[in-house]
Amino acid sequence: MTSSQDDRRGLGRRRFLTTAALSGATIIGATALGGIDADAAFAAEPSLDPAIAKSSFVEGRITGITGSILEVAGSYGDHARVQMTNVTSVWKVRATTAAAIEIGDGLYARGVPMPDGTVAADAVWVNIVNLDTQIRGIARNRLHLAHGQHEVVGNVLPDATNASYAGRALTSDLSQLRIGQSAQVLGAWRPSDNSVDVVRISVGH
Amino acid sequence: MLSLTTGLAPLVLAGLLGWTGAVKLFGRGTVLQAPKTALARMLSSSERAVLVLRGVGAAELLVAAGLLAVPANPAPGAAAALLGAGFLGYLGYGRALAPESSCGCSANEDTPITWRAFARAATVLVSGVAAAVAHGSWWSIVSGRPAASLGFLAAAAIVLIALSADLDRWWLLPLRRARLRVFGHPLFGTGAGEQVPVAASVELLEASLAWQAASPVVRSALLDHWEEAGWRILQFSGVYETAEEVRPVSVVFALDATSSRDTPGDPLVRVSFLDADSGEPVGAELLSAVPSQKALPLAG
Repeated sequence: MTSSQDDRRGLGRRRFLTTAALSGATIIGATALGGIDADAAFAAEPSLDPAIAKSSFVEGRITGITGSILEVAGSYGDHARVQMTNVTSVWKVRATTAAAIEIGDGLYARGVPMPDGTVAADAVWVNIVNLDTQIRGIARNRLHLAHGQHEVVGNVLPDATNASYAGRALTSDLSQLRIGQSAQVLGAWRPSDNSVDVVRISVGH
Repeated sequence: MLSLTTGLAPLVLAGLLGWTGAVKLFGRGTVLQAPKTALARMLSSSERAVLVLRGVGAAELLVAAGLLAVPANPAPGAAAALLGAGFLGYLGYGRALAPESSCGCSANEDTPITWRAFARAATVLVSGVAAAVAHGSWWSIVSGRPAASLGFLAAAAIVLIALSADLDRWWLLPLRRARLRVFGHPLFGTGAGEQVPVAASVELLEASLAWQAASPVVRSALLDHWEEAGWRILQFSGVYETAEEVRPVSVVFALDATSSRDTPGDPLVRVSFLDADSGEPVGAELLSAVPSQKALPLAG
């Protein structure tokens, strides 16, 4: 299987799905219910979402990868085995594939417990962090953030960093950020240098 | 220059030790900060850490007074060098034992042990040695070479301020703010113009009725996304359960690629469930049952 064959198959699949999506049911309207995206990973109250209610969660550091099974050492001394499937969504800064997962990464997964003791993952978020910070410096490709006592470097990625000002919709315009603002940062921790790739920065909320 | 440095070292050192000592001994923050310091971890008691911090503060003040009063005597300089060596040892030990804790160097700071704390302790050690070998008194040097002395003292003060993490908010942040004002915002114009980022489309989708209708089926987070003819297609995977069977499905949403939560009007989303193996549409009854829900009309 060459990569061009892969691409062709991918394009064919996308074309087919596009046709199907555009011929699907049209639903107009807004709701007050939230989603099950990365934010929900940190939701304090139990979600109303049936997918969440039936799921189990796994968090920790990845200590080994055997085929499609991730060995996870939890923060509280527990161990779990996460089974990746071909329909598991993987988030690592952006929607990506299981190939991007490395040993040593942090992991947060939602899935269904299997009889063999593994958890079949529906969704995996790799190295996801959610930090309450203060902006202490702004440069072209990074933000200096204070998180409690710690200085954290937040990497600004031109294609993945978005900001939300005062609860408005996400935008790629970062020019409204100011030094001294409190900022909620959702991002991906980089184990190599302990910096954080900023994915979403919310100020004035 | 060397005689100037060694001659004025007692004065610089006295200033630094006087300040950190006074803060430790008389500052109210000492009691509040002590539990966070590496010292409290070492002594396994906050109360003992407070006592030790107060004691060290008193010793620093004593050494500072000695440096000011009898600069020609090597004793205060030697004591300062000992203090510096002690600080270095403590920092190294604290860094190894509890890298997360604050150092308590000025007792009012919340910063963890970094290279700056080490540099400041090394400065105390080196200046202590310089003060111990000094021959003249600092007042004779200041009166003899006032301009050079003033320059040296200013430079020393700047170095010490830069090495003190707890003074950052008084000079570093204003400096950075001023730089932004002078040179403009470095992130200005980095955004992709008017384009709505994918994250904003996902956010809009999750605030839509379509998402609510599909949520019993959707199991994954965003798997893939692409654009086609002004539509943004967002693909998820899910499980469609009926009384007879459980089928893995792909869930695809299509929304206008230019709309986000800030776009006025109701979001319009097209939804399909497709069988993961055969690709045939399933679950149409789930989607057709959704009543349309209009936003409340605005007056005006």
